[in-house]
Amino acid sequence: MITVRLEPENRDLTIDRAATVTQLLHKLGRKPGRALVIRDGGLLTPDLNLKYGDHIIVRDVGSKG
Amino acid sequence: MKCKRCQVPAVVALPSHHTAFCKDCFLIFARRLVERAIKEHSMFTLDDRILIAISGGKDSLALSWQLKELGYNIEGLHIDLGIPESSPIARAYTERFCAKTGIPLHVIETASLGLAMCDVKRRVKRPICSVCGQTKRYLFNKHAQENGFTVLATGHNLDDETSRLFANVMRWDVEFLSDQGPVMPAEKGFAKKVKPLFRLTEFETANLCFLAGIDYGYAPCPYSSKASFPIYKKLLADLEDIQPGRKIRFYDGFIKDGRPGFAPRGETTVDIEPCTTCGYPTSAGECGVCRLKNVMRDA
Repeated sequence: MITVRLEPENRDLTIDRAATVTQLLHKLGRKPGRALVIRDGGLLTPDLNLKYGDHIIVRDVGSKG
Repeated sequence: MKCKRCQVPAVVALPSHHTAFCKDCFLIFARRLVERAIKEHSMFTLDDRILIAISGGKDSLALSWQLKELGYNIEGLHIDLGIPESSPIARAYTERFCAKTGIPLHVIETASLGLAMCDVKRRVKRPICSVCGQTKRYLFNKHAQENGFTVLATGHNLDDETSRLFANVMRWDVEFLSDQGPVMPAEKGFAKKVKPLFRLTEFETANLCFLAGIDYGYAPCPYSSKASFPIYKKLLADLEDIQPGRKIRFYDGFIKDGRPGFAPRGETTVDIEPCTTCGYPTSAGECGVCRLKNVMRDA
């Protein structure tokens, strides 16, 4: 299980399984290049693997006014 | 994925540039995009006094940080719009950032002019985004002119610029298409305006903030839900996914080959004169902000 915090809405959710950052973004309905993906205070590129128990922040970058 | 420059693990992937970077190399890449924009369009030099419009969002903070790093003579101006849901948050981020970086900050509260946007929205029938934009442009320009700044810089990024260009094309708005670009020269009482981040996408400015340790505000304006630019942004982002690099080629191509075709032919018929009340340049006798103040006083 992977724990995800969605920003800027600060909503928490869990994802059963996502092998890579790309898969995680796909499950969240997001695309690389439109959100920062952060683990342990560092940025992740779309190709990187995720593991069970990861805590991930997905921060949308689009300004909304 | 490895950094294209130094082969260590990358932290930012940039399909539009067919590349990926580690932290240090991304910061070099971003700095070079800003330096290129400044040089290519003769935006300003180290001798200029630059006023930066700082909203507290990622773009204006990234711009301020980058220009400070490059050694330019900068000061910030924040407009507190008087919107209870978002203005205090935006102002706090701005003040914290400027205190931390040592950038002199000026703050103007629109409420002190009788123009708190929450009140304006209730009393004016025009779209609030249009009224708010007009008020901000007025205050930024007036502050720059009255305080000896030679350049006014804003944090508009590539997504802002291409979505605006796309919207202007969809309306065939010849007047806006004739002067859209990263530089608007000083003329007729208006300060020179520049957009040094126009080569960076909002994804890139967000990465710049993260990697430079810039804490920026997320609070969106509660009145912006009906703005049309986000629609065009999404359409262009979808196109960029299919054709990486399309946005910058669209914009560069417009500046080089498209915009000259929309240039005014012959003398313009619009006379710009000082506002009869405040002296701000206008074509309407009394400027839009003074008329707005009158409406709010009479309400």
